Amino acid sequence: MSKFQRYLVNKLLWFILAFCIALVLNFLLPRLIPGNPVDTIVAQMSAGGGVSGPALEKLYNSYIAEFGLDQPLWKQFLIYLGNLSRGDLGTSFAQSPARVQRLVSEALPWTIALMLPAILVGWIVGNTLGALAGYKGGWLDRIVFPTSLFVSSIPYYCLAIILLYLFAVEFDIAPTGGGYGYDKSPSLTIPFIIDVLRHYWLPFLAQATIFIGGQAVGMRAMSIYELDADYVRFARGLGVSDNRITAYIFRNAMLPQVTGLALSIGGLVSGGLISEIVFSYPGIGTLLFKAIRTSDYPVIQGITLVVMVGVLTANFIVDIAYGFIDPRIRAKASGES
Amino acid sequence: MNKRVLQIFSFIMVLALALTGCAAPAAPATGGEAAAPAEEAAPGDLPRNETLYVGGLQWGPFITFNPVAPQITWPNGETMLIYEALFGYNVATGEIDPLLAESFTMVDETTMEITLHEGTTWQDGEPLTTEDVIFTFELGKTNTDLDISTFWDYVTEMTAVDERTLQIKLNPERLNVGQVKHFLTRTSPVIPKHIWEERATGDTPISQFVEENPIGSGPYQVLDYSTERVALQRFDDYWGKDLFGLPAPKYIVHPIFDSNDTGNLAFQQGRVDLSQQFAPQIWQMWEDQGLPVGTWFKEPPYHLPGNIPMLHINIHKPGLDNVLVRKALAYSINYAQIAETAMSRYSDPAQPSLIIPSGGEGALFNAEQVAELGWEYNPEEAVRILEEDLGATKGSDGIYVLPDGTRLGPWKVLACYGWTDWMTAVELVAQNAQEIGIDITTEFPEAPVATARRNAGDFDMIIWTHTGASPASPWARFRDALDIRGVPPMGEVAFWNWNRFEHPDVPALLDQVAASSDLEEQKALYSELDKIYLENIPTIPLMYRPLEFYEFNESVWTGFANADNPVAPPQQNYGGIRGYFVIQPK
Repeated sequence: MSKFQRYLVNKLLWFILAFCIALVLNFLLPRLIPGNPVDTIVAQMSAGGGVSGPALEKLYNSYIAEFGLDQPLWKQFLIYLGNLSRGDLGTSFAQSPARVQRLVSEALPWTIALMLPAILVGWIVGNTLGALAGYKGGWLDRIVFPTSLFVSSIPYYCLAIILLYLFAVEFDIAPTGGGYGYDKSPSLTIPFIIDVLRHYWLPFLAQATIFIGGQAVGMRAMSIYELDADYVRFARGLGVSDNRITAYIFRNAMLPQVTGLALSIGGLVSGGLISEIVFSYPGIGTLLFKAIRTSDYPVIQGITLVVMVGVLTANFIVDIAYGFIDPRIRAKASGES
Repeated sequence: MNKRVLQIFSFIMVLALALTGCAAPAAPATGGEAAAPAEEAAPGDLPRNETLYVGGLQWGPFITFNPVAPQITWPNGETMLIYEALFGYNVATGEIDPLLAESFTMVDETTMEITLHEGTTWQDGEPLTTEDVIFTFELGKTNTDLDISTFWDYVTEMTAVDERTLQIKLNPERLNVGQVKHFLTRTSPVIPKHIWEERATGDTPISQFVEENPIGSGPYQVLDYSTERVALQRFDDYWGKDLFGLPAPKYIVHPIFDSNDTGNLAFQQGRVDLSQQFAPQIWQMWEDQGLPVGTWFKEPPYHLPGNIPMLHINIHKPGLDNVLVRKALAYSINYAQIAETAMSRYSDPAQPSLIIPSGGEGALFNAEQVAELGWEYNPEEAVRILEEDLGATKGSDGIYVLPDGTRLGPWKVLACYGWTDWMTAVELVAQNAQEIGIDITTEFPEAPVATARRNAGDFDMIIWTHTGASPASPWARFRDALDIRGVPPMGEVAFWNWNRFEHPDVPALLDQVAASSDLEEQKALYSELDKIYLENIPTIPLMYRPLEFYEFNESVWTGFANADNPVAPPQQNYGGIRGYFVIQPK
């Protein structure tokens, strides 16, 4: 087995170990939230004061049994693992009898459609701007740097609310929320697609803006750092062309940014939480938020599972990719240096 | 170099645009998937003047249209647009109105006879008969997780005399006509036996069945549903069209808002016509902004009272176990201020009684007794009780201490986080109590936590409401507040009487009043129960809340019923669907 293969196997074992630990936490943590999901259901039914006490008592007891909450914890865990191995995420408690799969698969496309383009655009534009600002300096840097710093430093929810206020209330050129207008029947028609886009651009803009800012600040710092590096001076001394040097710098400065990109994509499922809440946009974030507030264990578990798999896989890929992108790491891992 | 960078940059921008362009249309496809059963799917827009937008009755995405599930997507369960109950509860009169059933008579003390309307038919053309009704109620015999299972505590037998006539034998041990009437309204929409019989015998409990294409007997059918809305389309062959006519809107759409604020904004802008949301200071919409908005009453309290959020006091804690301390607390609370701020004027100041003084229960309200034994906002009297009646002295921190050394506090009063009217109310209670020298602060746990603590009796004080106005009220509220029978000890899960109040006379009085059919006798018995309540003060009424907020915006539809034009009760739930029949497009 070559040293690189050993590196790969090593990473894979870590991946599996992390997955198992995360799975246990995934199961355990929601159950540590005080309060009990059946209480939520019963509270909702009794909120209007319509259902009588004895009826609630019967409901309470049958739900505790139905959800298996009267079983010892280890048994619940085994049932959870058993269901999971069959690809079954279970039935939501708070939204019983809705299947967790259905809830997640309904919400997931919205989150991905919002977050993935925002992350990619933000990453590409941000890095380009950062590299330009770092390399060119001058007026471009004086504009790009403070703007990016400002955008990436204000808390995201503030930025989102300000954008919402400006565009949806003050200028009134964007809807105040939702994935599409509720006066439209969902269909693959031009007016409906236009309506979806009309609801899409503002949360997208907010999400992308914050990404551009963060990436630009990081990339600019890296570029400046690299500009000062010995190899650049050496290359300059040798009379290597500017373009060539820029390419060197870009490649070196890129490394941490690639990690950032992979992690953002891995975590994109949970990354949209604030956007979704502020812009009332359908998606995983709002689903998770609601599930936590109602102690809906199966839904929390289902979503954290998706998030967990995303983050772990992204990490794994980054680890492997590093071996290819950065010869230094590969060299170190295989003991060449 | 510059040129190259620019090239890269522009390429990236084009790529970015292309990416967003590609990704965005992916979204509607998922929305489209969610919207499955569009029988006559109208692509694009529904005509505004044929569509009624309603709000405040559905908060999450579609779960199921199964009317016996624990959480049912609008309109099923409460709003009888697809499935109908035998009767509708009229929140304005407190009576039950005919819906599927034409009439209701008591043959003798324990026998009830119900006649169905002629021609009741399911939307698939099958006749709706007494057999369907019996099937629906008998589901409660075998499925203890259904609401109606408790029906059989009060009823021994339900039989069909013929296709139109039902006979119900009441349980003589637990004679309670009001409670049975309650079950004939909101909790039990009748479901078609020919569709549900098979589902009732399967492995999955019937409450877990996910119904996507409901076949009911009502005037609407599902058009589509998604994460953004539920849309209904009128069923023009409605069995009751000769009797009731047809409702005016061709379509009824319930947008799914994520918060009160978005819903209220849509209502204000006329994008929602009929709303059941708490909208603070609604009078400003017509007084200051001149919008065509209205509520049931033009003046405060604007809405009909329906239940009583109360301060439940843990009567087993040292200090709070003293009825005079509770009385002093009751005198210290500024009820008018709670009504004005917490309830945004949608409540009269709360009266010290378990009976709602107006509406259907008004006839039972004993105003003289309440004036004589009750309390009102009077901080001087509170201080007098503390100092003279109790002999309490103020400590250096301004908090009273009883002669036996018990300090009045620190006590916490709980309210569910996010239930803003309740949170404001208890905030005021704490302030008022601090002002006279009782140490009360607030705590706002998430709803499931607060519920669990309420059930276990793990609180000093908590705000909650008892059973609201219904055909069974105020009996159910007195039972909830005073009856210890069936309530487990502190620490275990209780579903009513959370502070475990006990009084030897209560059970007999409750049984007597439940069995009584004479208004004068009822009034006397309720007065006696209310007297026990006033002398012991296990809870303190803080305000009144409507069963349902009723707010209409007449930008598109007009003719909504109101107190001056009471052509329909102010409700969408509890079987009150007449309101949809009386409006017309502008």
